[in-house]
Amino acid sequence: MSTGVMARPRGAHATASGSRRRQGRDRGRVLRLYVPLGLYLLFTVVPFYWMLVFALRPSGSTTPVPWPITFEHFTTVWNDIGYAMFFRNSVIVGVWSLLATTVLAVMGGYALSRFRFRGRSLFMVVLLCTQFIPGAMLLIPLFSIFKSLGLINSLGSLILADTVFNLPLSIILMSGFITAVPYSVEEAAMVDGCTRLRAFLAVVLPQLRPGLIAVGSFAFIHTWNNFLFALMFVSRQDSFTIPVGLSYTIGEYSADFGALAAGGVVAAVPVVCVFAVIQRYLVHGISAGAVKG
Amino acid sequence: MKSTKAWAALAVLALAVAGCGSGSGSQEPGKTTITFWDNNGGTRTPIYQELIKRFEAANPTIHVEYVGIPIASVQQKYDTAIAGGDTPDVGGVTTSYLANLVGQQALEPADDWLGKSAVNGKLAAPMIKSVRDTVTDGKLYLVPGTSNMDVVWYLKDKLPEPPATWDEFFTDTAELTKAPDQYGYTIRGGAGSIFQVLAEMYAYSGVTQFFDASGKSTVNDPKNVEYLTKLAAMYKKDTPEADVTNDFPKMVAAFGTGKIAMMHHNLGSYNDHVKAHGADKIGAFALPAGASGKRTIVANPVDGFAVFKGSEHKDAAWKFVEFLVSKESNSYWNQQTGQIPANTEAQGDSWVTGLPHLKTAVDVLNDPATAVVSPPYYLPQFSSITKADTEPLFQKVLLKQMSPQEFLDTMAQKLTDAQAEWKKAHGG
Repeated sequence: MSTGVMARPRGAHATASGSRRRQGRDRGRVLRLYVPLGLYLLFTVVPFYWMLVFALRPSGSTTPVPWPITFEHFTTVWNDIGYAMFFRNSVIVGVWSLLATTVLAVMGGYALSRFRFRGRSLFMVVLLCTQFIPGAMLLIPLFSIFKSLGLINSLGSLILADTVFNLPLSIILMSGFITAVPYSVEEAAMVDGCTRLRAFLAVVLPQLRPGLIAVGSFAFIHTWNNFLFALMFVSRQDSFTIPVGLSYTIGEYSADFGALAAGGVVAAVPVVCVFAVIQRYLVHGISAGAVKG
Repeated sequence: MKSTKAWAALAVLALAVAGCGSGSGSQEPGKTTITFWDNNGGTRTPIYQELIKRFEAANPTIHVEYVGIPIASVQQKYDTAIAGGDTPDVGGVTTSYLANLVGQQALEPADDWLGKSAVNGKLAAPMIKSVRDTVTDGKLYLVPGTSNMDVVWYLKDKLPEPPATWDEFFTDTAELTKAPDQYGYTIRGGAGSIFQVLAEMYAYSGVTQFFDASGKSTVNDPKNVEYLTKLAAMYKKDTPEADVTNDFPKMVAAFGTGKIAMMHHNLGSYNDHVKAHGADKIGAFALPAGASGKRTIVANPVDGFAVFKGSEHKDAAWKFVEFLVSKESNSYWNQQTGQIPANTEAQGDSWVTGLPHLKTAVDVLNDPATAVVSPPYYLPQFSSITKADTEPLFQKVLLKQMSPQEFLDTMAQKLTDAQAEWKKAHGG
């Protein structure tokens, strides 16, 4: 009963050609998608890798892998350079600036979104224009104002200055998010007896979560990285923040690359953590704010 | 009611903001608090903390508040503080920006204090002269604490005997270069390149003045052009290609890999080289003398301490400055940083004579036969001319996009113009 040649099942040819097509598609997908993404990832990850290598390998080592691993540079930055204190200050300034920026941006954004008043467009233009003024230009006027308010050498000056610089963009972004929430929903809540504030808190605010996260994270990261204000408005060793501490690792005639890299890792950790937690809201938030603004 | 709550919340927020981290003004009764800004905060912080501890123990009625300012931003910090009227009592200042601070009338001259002080006559005369030459009225606005000198660092296992002449230097550089990645020399092509090029050119040419009698810059002297032509020819042949963007951290890091035999920098990077290679493998020699046989060096900026005019405790501030430049303190500070003490008594300490590179530097500086070329730090445009204006042009020279002659003519013209303008402004 042998047929001599094994008969190929009917669907086998189709399956094989389908498999070839799939393989072709997969190859095309790899070439179009994964290769460019891989290259881009390599481009962005390599500097971080080098930062980790310098942070974890002993001084004087030139190996491309951090082995043997040492934490001496982290000890240097944390204990000797004073990162423990700088980190604490950065967290205080970053969190307060985040809270202040977010609260004020919601208030300002609501006004721009829901009310039509004379000069509204001009106000938006002025808000945008403030983004063109570099912080360095305002250093001396701000310094004088803070001095007369008794805020020099206080973290309060950094929180105020950073909040003020974060606000224009944050208000514009937030106004876009609020506009995306139909006013009719708010009106319905008011018809049911809510005040405007209650309607906003109960109906609008829960829908603003992506916007709040986008605005808050931008405010936090901008404040966290701000070197200029942190150095200029503070002249007390115990009130400096992380970016000032980071610059201590480069002296006039010498640079401690291990400490610089370890400091960079410590400075990057909170920012990376913030992004890791919020990234799914952030993408949605940015696109919503951009398109519907 | 609700709006009252909201306003109350805002008021609490504002109060909390205003109070954050503010702790200044915690004055102890009966104590004078002075603020000291270190103009190179970071690695030097523990040194100053130790010295402040010693000072406070010797002067229990004075408390010194230390603030470390990152070196890259120190001028901007001083300018902002002066404009805002919030200067420290004592600040670390170098001759690089001394004229700028004096121009803003921010500093108190120390001549009278020094005249009555125990350290009078014990500070290196060339450093004092360099400070006085930097300002128009010749007053001592800065009390020198240290100075530096350009040297060429080399790896002893690659170069057993350092070159004594420029010809030997060029020969050694070529011989020590071996494919694929061993280089005889590294050029500083990025930030800070011009000062090093000037030091090399003047050492080679033996020209001893930055301007001739008519006020014309000597930067484009034919011998300087000759040196720069030779240096540019070395780029990529005997030096790494990446040198075109070398600032000092990159240059020091590249030298730390052990692939480069010689590197021109100053005494300040000694600790980095020791960390990378070990003290026994590192050597240093002063830039060789040129064909004239006369050793010529370009004066490095003098680093020291200034009392600010805005200080409310000038006597306590001077007391601290006097303590910092005393033999013990000055010796301790310079031993830790590996630089040349300004206090001549400290220059004789065993740690100075025991470090060959430092002894070489002190001997060269104190040798009456050494000609010192003083760069015109007093010119307001000097910093911009030697940084923003000409650093990119020097990169063009290395990349063969500009000739050395054209480059030096351009720089000379800018310096000549700046000098003429300065002379005019000061009745010259």
